[in-house]
Formats: sequence, C-alpha cells, structure tokens
Amino acid sequence: MVPEFWNEFWYGLPVTVQDAIWFALLLLPATLVGIVVVWSYRPFSLVSAMIWRYRWTNALFVVLIAISVGLGVGLIAQERGIRKGTARAAEKFDLVVTAPGSEVQMMLATVYLQPVDVPLLDGRTYDAIAANENVALAAPIAYGDSFGDSSVIGTTAAFVTHLAGDLADGRMFAGLDEAVVGARAGLDLGASFTPAHGVGDAAEEDVHESVSLTVVGRMAATGSPWDRAILVPVESVWKVHGLPLGHAPGREGQIGPPFDPAYFPGTPAILVRADQLWANYALRSEFTTERTMAFFPGAVLSQLHGLLGDVRQVMSVMAVVTQVLVTAGVLAGLAVLIRLYARRLALLRALGAPDRFVFSVVWTYAATLIGTGAVAGIAVGLAAVGVISGIVTARTDILVEATLGWPEFDLVAGFVSITVLMALLPAFVALSRDVITDLRS
Amino acid sequence: MSLDLVVRDLVVKAREGRELLSVERLDIPAGSRIGIRGPSGAGKSTLLFAIAGLLRPSSGTVAWGDQRISEMSPGDRARFRRENVGLVFQDFLLFEELSALGNAAIAARYASRSSRRAIIAAAGAGLERLGLKKLGGRRVESFSGGERQRVAMARALANDPGIILADEPTASLDRTSADRLIEDLSALSGGSGRTLIAVSHDAALHARMDRVIDVVDGRPLV
Repeated sequence: MVPEFWNEFWYGLPVTVQDAIWFALLLLPATLVGIVVVWSYRPFSLVSAMIWRYRWTNALFVVLIAISVGLGVGLIAQERGIRKGTARAAEKFDLVVTAPGSEVQMMLATVYLQPVDVPLLDGRTYDAIAANENVALAAPIAYGDSFGDSSVIGTTAAFVTHLAGDLADGRMFAGLDEAVVGARAGLDLGASFTPAHGVGDAAEEDVHESVSLTVVGRMAATGSPWDRAILVPVESVWKVHGLPLGHAPGREGQIGPPFDPAYFPGTPAILVRADQLWANYALRSEFTTERTMAFFPGAVLSQLHGLLGDVRQVMSVMAVVTQVLVTAGVLAGLAVLIRLYARRLALLRALGAPDRFVFSVVWTYAATLIGTGAVAGIAVGLAAVGVISGIVTARTDILVEATLGWPEFDLVAGFVSITVLMALLPAFVALSRDVITDLRS
Repeated sequence: MSLDLVVRDLVVKAREGRELLSVERLDIPAGSRIGIRGPSGAGKSTLLFAIAGLLRPSSGTVAWGDQRISEMSPGDRARFRRENVGLVFQDFLLFEELSALGNAAIAARYASRSSRRAIIAAAGAGLERLGLKKLGGRRVESFSGGERQRVAMARALANDPGIILADEPTASLDRTSADRLIEDLSALSGGSGRTLIAVSHDAALHARMDRVIDVVDGRPLV
C-alpha cells in the first residue's frame, strides 16, 4: 500500500522529472556497484592499458554490444514512432460517415487512402448530415480514381483547407478540370493529367482518356498519405464517370456545396466536423443507422493500437530477450577476453595486489566495455531509427518521426545495470585462477 | 626490513599427488645473496614460488622471521609480498602500454593513499639508479630487453622490500645486458641488508652470490 502523501508527491512532479528519476534508479545498481568495487583504488589507467593492448578485439566487442543495444532501442522507438505517425495522420478526421461495413476497412480507405469498393452514400444522407445544425464541415470523400501512384480524390475546397491549411503554392481548384496536389505528389503546378479508373494494378488508364485535369495548387505537407494525393472537386469525379454533377439544372457550373440531393450521385464517405466536441458524439449516434455507419477514425485507430498492444508487448519482450541474450553473450565474451589478460592479472596478484584491486581491475574493464557499447548503442539506435523512419515514410507516406525517448534510455540503463552486475561473475572467476599457472602460461 | 628465511619439512605436491618439491631444512640468513641452480624441471622455480608465498605447500613450514607464510591466508600472503618482497621474472612481465614509471610504480595503484607518494618516489629513484631516468615517461613497448628488465627491477624495489626474489632474471637478455643486470642486482642487494634469492642458469650471476644451492629432483642439496 503506497502512502497517500507519496502519491501526491510523485504525481506532483513534472513528468520529465519522474522519467529522469526512473532512469537514475535503473542506473543506480551499476553506480553503486561501481563505487563499492573501485572505492580507494585507481584501476583506470591500468584498465586503459589493458583495453589498448587488445584494442581491436575490444573494439569489436564494443561494436557487437552497440549493435545489439541499438537494435533493441531502435525496435521500441520505431514502434512508438509508427504509432504516433498513424495517429497524426488521422487527427484531421474527426468523424467519418460511410455505408455500414468494417470500420477498420473504411478508416483505411478514407484516412490512409487504401481504396476499397464500398456502397455509396446517397444525396439524402449527405443532405441530412450537412443540414445538421451542429455540423461545421461535411465533405464528400470520393475515391476510386488515380494517376500514377497518387489517388485522385473528389472533395470540397473546405476539406482541402481543413486538411492542410493554406495552400503552399498556387490556388484552390475553382473549376471541374482543376486539381490541387499533395505536397509529395509528382505533378508540378500547371501540369495536366488524365486520371485512370481504379487504383494500382487494377487501374484502367484509358477509361477517362477524354478528360484532362490541370494542377493549380499544392497543399502544405500533412505527414499523411494525402501528401501524395490529387484532390479535385467532387463534381469533377462525378463528371468523369458520367454522373449528375450534384446540382440542379441551371447550376451545373457550381463547385462545392450546397448539393442538391436529387442530383447527388453518391460518395463513399463523408468527413464530418462539428463545432463542439460533444456534438461529434451526438452526430455519431445520429448517423449510426441501418443505412449509415459513423465512426471516429481516432477511436478505431486507438482500438487497433490496443489490439496491436499485444504485438507491442511481444516486441518489448523481444527487445528485453534480445538484451538478455546479449548479456549472456557479453558474459561469455568477457570470460574469453579476461583469459587474454590472465598473465597480467596473475602478475598483479604475485606482486601482492589485494584481491579486491584485481577484482576492481577486471570489473572496471568489463564495465568500461559494456558502458561504451551501451552509449554507442544509443547512437546506433538513433541512426537505425532515422534510416527506418525514412524508409517507412517513403513507402507509406505516413510521416514517422521516431526519436529516442525515456523508454529507450530506461532499456539501456537497465541493460547496463544488469550486465555490470553480471560482470561481477567474471571478476570472481578471474580471482579463482591459479597464479602460478597463469604466470607460466 | 630484512628477515631470516627458515624452511622446515616443506613438501609441495602437484594436484595429481606427484611430489614437486621436498625441503627438509633450509636456512637463509637475512641479507644473504643466494643463487639457486639445477636442471630444468628440478623444482627451482617451485622452491622460489613456495618461499614467495605464491603457493600453499602440502605440508611443512616457510617462515620469514616470525611470519609463517605457509600458514597464512592468501590475502595475508599477498600483504606479506606487498610489504616485504620484490619479484623479478624471466620475461619481465610488464604492462607494455604503461610508461616505465607507470610500471615501476604499479604498486601505487593498490597501495594505501598515505604510501602512494612514497612508492612513486621510490620507483622514480629506482629508475634513476638503474640509468632509466630519462626514459621514465616512455612506454616500455619500445624498450630493449635489458631496459625492460631494469624497469622490472625498479618495480621490485619500489616498495623498498627486504627480500628480492628473481626467477631466471638474465635468461631473456643478451650477455651485455645480463652482465649489467647482475651488476645492478648485486649493487642493490649487497650491503643493503636485502636478501636476494635468484633462480638462474647463469654462472656469471652465481659467481656474485654468497652461496649457490643446487636443486635436483625437487630437493635442494644443502
């Protein structure tokens, strides 16, 4: 039972201070052992000499520790970076309404632009949503076409602004043949293109061959797959497919809402944003019907992360197991390395050096290799995370900004503490060796 | 402080039980210079290690003055060596990456705070006396065999021991270096009251000793 005053004290501390205390506590065993072992002796220059004597062997040992620690650190940091990146990509999608189906599938299609064939929502549904007094933004998200590796999405100008703010370049689309591209889409301003019907390998490039759209603006980066998308007026998508343009006769040139339900051909999804947070919940409830499904992508993603939490735990366990294996490897390696120094250690003992001094030399030597390897491992982890984040971002268009945080530092601190404690064993073993045998070796 | 060595009924056996050394009686007065010789495998070095307290005999006693090192714990024997014994080995056994002074004063690293300065000063003085003052700051890896052995001697003298034990000190040296080392050993022991016991095949070294003990089949012929 933790006393109340302690809880108040602990949770009253800034989070960074709590993290720093945890880190210090994890390092405490190593620090205490170090102080006790080295107390009143000066083994350091002797240890430097020992390390320099077999510098390449020792360097290899440090590199092996660094790589192992770096992999563990990188694994955890990368997982967190991906989680944050996917969450960031979804944060502009407050509430999404689609036809009933799988929330995960619809989220992947709407937020991460992984299109699927889904039933369309009709004009009556759109109108009901758009007319709701709590709705600030109701934007159709009409996907299904593509150009190269970019999805072509029909939507409204308000959604473009909601998604990425002011345009980074050019202007908003104002006609049926105009488009705004994402920050990483491979089209320049003024470029014209013909969208293909469908996406990926199934895309039919000649279906819309009579259509030519021109890029007039470029969005600021969002760190999401939308950075590679091409956004056009939803009316443009309808027109390309030979459908009504969403507006009553005589208003065919209109771009954007309001739409006339009678001429609204349908949309796979509608992004809804309410003025108030509570209203989102009311809207979700209201539009969760037999014909429609309303969901919060953030909540779905959270559930997904929750399910993947088991995977995360497995990854964490794997990282720890890796470190345990590394620890075992380090100990085995140390036992071998210390044999290299057996004669010198025997000399010290023959000269009358106290066992505790010889013990401190061996332990300091081991701790130096472990500590250096661990610190280098942080650098390796940082580099690995940078490289892998770049690859993941390039492949998914989800901006993954993985950086090292306290969990990684805690892992390294725990590793260092455990291994330097375990390094007491080879130090004891070194003392158990026969002095004369080693002197004569 | 120099001490008389008294050995009685000393038996050292190998792990498998084979007898390596048997000394019924050996007395060496303090300040003596003693050479030990004999064929390879006769037990010369075993005798030296036994009287240095580096091994625990199977039976019998080894006493320096009133200190029976054969009955001491390993820690007490180490302390005895630290305070009373200087050791010189055939192949020098130096830390190649340390300077000459770093090697000669190696005992300062594990000595008490109060005696560190004295050990470093003694090591420096020892190097000077052995003609290595200018090389004190250089790493010994670049030294000749003779220079290395003189560094090892300076190390043996750094704690101002009453006993110097040398195991084949000239065996790895050329004749000139060996002769110089013998001079140094004689000068540093003779008249100083230090006891010098040197295992060697070197007749030139034995010629400078007060007495030479032959060891045959694990038994000193005294």
